[in-house]
Amino acid sequence: MDILRNWKIHLLVLIIVVMSENLGVIKYGLIILLPLLHALVLGGIISFPKFKILSTKQMEVAAGILPIAMMLLIVKIGLDIGPNLSLLFHSKGALLLQEIGHFFGTVILGLPIAVFLRMGRESIGATYSVAREPNIAIIAEKFGLDSPEGRGVMATYICGTLVGAVWLSILTGVVAKLGILHPYALAMGSGVGSGSMMAASVGSIIAAYPDMEQQIRAYAGAANLMSTILGIYVSLFFSLPLATKLYNFLSKFQSDKETAKEKA
Amino acid sequence: MNKLQNMTVAMILSGLLMAVGNVIGYQVDWYSSLLGVLVIIVIGLIGMAVSQVPGLNKLPMVFWISIVAIIISLPNFPGSAWVIQITKKVQFLAVTTPILAYAGLSLGKDIELFKKLSWKIVPVTLAVMTGTFLFAAIIAQFVLKWEGAI
Repeated sequence: MDILRNWKIHLLVLIIVVMSENLGVIKYGLIILLPLLHALVLGGIISFPKFKILSTKQMEVAAGILPIAMMLLIVKIGLDIGPNLSLLFHSKGALLLQEIGHFFGTVILGLPIAVFLRMGRESIGATYSVAREPNIAIIAEKFGLDSPEGRGVMATYICGTLVGAVWLSILTGVVAKLGILHPYALAMGSGVGSGSMMAASVGSIIAAYPDMEQQIRAYAGAANLMSTILGIYVSLFFSLPLATKLYNFLSKFQSDKETAKEKA
Repeated sequence: MNKLQNMTVAMILSGLLMAVGNVIGYQVDWYSSLLGVLVIIVIGLIGMAVSQVPGLNKLPMVFWISIVAIIISLPNFPGSAWVIQITKKVQFLAVTTPILAYAGLSLGKDIELFKKLSWKIVPVTLAVMTGTFLFAAIIAQFVLKWEGAI
């Protein structure tokens, strides 16, 4: 029972929860800061290696509890899907097609920037997916983790772990407040295939549209479930080949331009 | 077996922390908060048990726990109205806070790795996250309109 032996972590979580919930929802214009965001940031500060409050071993225990605690969130979201099943069934085309956006959106927006910044073949691993665990496994199997593609996927994984939830919480809040996209569409966008990122993103939509809370969670949960089931196959058979092709195309264009510059 | 025991303990523990947040942040009484969390934990444990069944264990636990929760919440499922009414008392945001607190407490171990990366990964990661969210939401918007759902 090493989970109970690490009482320090649970005590810290208790303190963080009490502080975060007391702070509550904070609004700055378009930006909404939720208790979950306070908790993430407070936890991040406490675990900062310089402060020596937690050992690496203890941080690993915290990381191990994370997916288990996440199961309770999955239950909470699942319980919203049943009552809304007819609504979801009415939007089955949207639920299916939005996955295209999830899987190709990373490449379309990320890859040109990575190529522009001259990240090399790391660009492919870094942008073919949101780089969560199943996506790392795919790259590890195809290229190995010490390949350029492997370094790329690990880089996005690490950076995404640190900034992903914070960024999606703020971005979603701003986009929701703009009122261009319907909350149901935003909810489907939130199902990115990572529990904590989905939670952060859904929280911001609910904060903007509290009266549609149950439907928002149902849509987000259904979209996330699709990302979980279809994700591995789509990123393996579609996103990765697309990222590779687009990289080869863009980097060729870039080196052409350079040689042209050199000639001139 | 030890792994499942650990998971059960961790689920109960994080559930208790969710109940605390639910009482403090959303002024729900202790009894409703604890009862709601208990029902959520029991559903989680049923899902966990299902995911261990030989043959079914080929799909991830997240999938099975989702399926169990969805089935229990179906209007025709016996007792679903009671389950929904009890678990409604546990606020979504109260469930998320302890999860992200654990996430936060684990971040420190990634900072050294992060320092080894080039700054370039930051704009790229932000673009990746923005892309997946925004493109899915935009496609969903068009198809929902077309389907007449919004």
